[in-house]
Amino acid sequence: MTDMSVSVSSPAGAIPNKSLPDAPAKVTVRNLNFYYGDHHALKNINLSLGTNRVTAFIGPSGCGKSTLLRIFNRMYDLYPGQRAEGQLMLDKTDILDPKLDLNLLRARVGMVFQKPTPFPMTIYENIAFGIRLYEKISKSEMDDRVEKALRGGALWNEVKDKLNASGLSLSGGQQQRLCIARTVAVRPEVILFDEPCSALDPISTAKVEELIQELSENYTIAIVTHNMQQAARVSDKTAFMYLGELIEFDDTSKIFTSPSDRRTQDYITGRFG
Amino acid sequence: MAVQSDASTVSDAAGPYDRARALSAFKVGDVTFYWITRLSAISVLLILGGIILSLIVGAWPAMKEYGFEFLWTRRWAPSADPPVLGALGPIYGTLVSSFIAMLIAIPVGLGIAIFLTELCPQWLRRPIGIAVELLAGIPSIIYGMWGFFVLGPFLAYTFQPFMISLCANIPILRDIFAGPPSYLSLFNASLILAIMVLPFITSISVDVFKTVPPVLKEAAYGVGCTTWEVVRSVVIPYTRVGVIGGVMLALGRALGETMAVTFIIGNSFRISSSIFAPGTTISAAIASEFQESDGLHQSALILLGLLLFVLTFFVLAAARLMLLRLEAKAGK
Repeated sequence: MTDMSVSVSSPAGAIPNKSLPDAPAKVTVRNLNFYYGDHHALKNINLSLGTNRVTAFIGPSGCGKSTLLRIFNRMYDLYPGQRAEGQLMLDKTDILDPKLDLNLLRARVGMVFQKPTPFPMTIYENIAFGIRLYEKISKSEMDDRVEKALRGGALWNEVKDKLNASGLSLSGGQQQRLCIARTVAVRPEVILFDEPCSALDPISTAKVEELIQELSENYTIAIVTHNMQQAARVSDKTAFMYLGELIEFDDTSKIFTSPSDRRTQDYITGRFG
Repeated sequence: MAVQSDASTVSDAAGPYDRARALSAFKVGDVTFYWITRLSAISVLLILGGIILSLIVGAWPAMKEYGFEFLWTRRWAPSADPPVLGALGPIYGTLVSSFIAMLIAIPVGLGIAIFLTELCPQWLRRPIGIAVELLAGIPSIIYGMWGFFVLGPFLAYTFQPFMISLCANIPILRDIFAGPPSYLSLFNASLILAIMVLPFITSISVDVFKTVPPVLKEAAYGVGCTTWEVVRSVVIPYTRVGVIGGVMLALGRALGETMAVTFIIGNSFRISSSIFAPGTTISAAIASEFQESDGLHQSALILLGLLLFVLTFFVLAAARLMLLRLEAKAGK
């Protein structure tokens, strides 16, 4: 599998990798530009997300990292006046194709948000809801799937006795893991995390980070974070963005020990941002 | 002289002295303010109590005369000797016309609200929003005239014959649409009521739909929901309390609306199975008969008013209960 990948994904393969063998690209971004009306928010982005790898996006506020994440599942489409140009491929699917079925895309590319966003329904329904959108399955199968998803979200032991309680009754950290479980439940291929821990306490943060590591065995993960230690802890590759440009994209170990760009170094050493 | 000596001590004594005086002035203001607000709040209770009391006093002779039978007596004959007065006709008309109005206004009103908040292109949003608000600003007598001159003929000569031919062989529906054509009918009043309460439902729903955090909607879109699924499973459950509040407000308005209804309902106390037949509502009955009434007749009309009051109260109570149930079901 690794042999194949090197030849298939040349952009990713071009970057030397020390820790993990290079993975085939799951998502490939080429010459991507993004506009909020007249504002040119992303300038000529090129990178790829390796299959079953964690890619972290860091950079000061307003650098465009969340914007980039929101292109991967076309979330920007909900708002008028926002548009993306360039090429963005999920395997062989053109994500930017205007005729693409967005609901199916979002089933393949799940997203976890900055704030926990449980739906106004029970814990069980929060999970079952997403599954039901795509599959007609029996009650017992659904129970299995919900349990599996909640285990996947490292939440099962805490909620198994109160599945019929409202999702809103959980603590912030639990809510966020419920959202992760909900995302996992629809069996996506890629999971996007948009600053998933920024509203959580340190213990919940540690749990979510651990969870992200576990999930990377089966999913391709992109995570936006303001917390550089977090990027260093959870990711295989890190992209540093600044003012809408991708400044540096490399192995996480390299970015945090010997970055090749001056600005990256300034940022990770805390000189700005 | 005294002024001068005051001025000379200002430099050291002024601070604390003025502060104390200012404080005591504030204290008077505070107490006054407290009592003004308190009296305002109490006045609500007094007014409410006073209205209930005067209704009961005014309705007492009729209550004594007819007792609970008033509620289910169908005949309304104030000029008979002795007068026979029963409230079933107006009660029936009030409930049915409001029910039909809500049946029409709730889906349409919610539909407009959903379209405005979730689907509408930006440039169309303002015109529709303003149109809905204008609809709320039209005086009810104008609705009444429009119902009489425009909607009435259409319903009597186009819509009713069509429904009759459509349902000729369906047992219950056949009776609901039967009868001779009439401009003045329960259904006409129901339609006008629906149009009148539509802006309430829409504007309240729009307001509460806007309170749904965008990120929650994005999360729903993020698991692959269509707009319909987002609205049904996230937006409406999240805002149900507000939406039901709006609906209840609209129902309250529909139950009590007088002018337009009096104009087009026909003021007939007969209870007909057909919604195209003339009928009456509690408020229409009071409005059309109060001037020429006296004695027991007037007392019966006041009793009708008391009934409307109680009916509205029960609607609000039912709304509260429903909300509690919904919340229990949602697992809170």
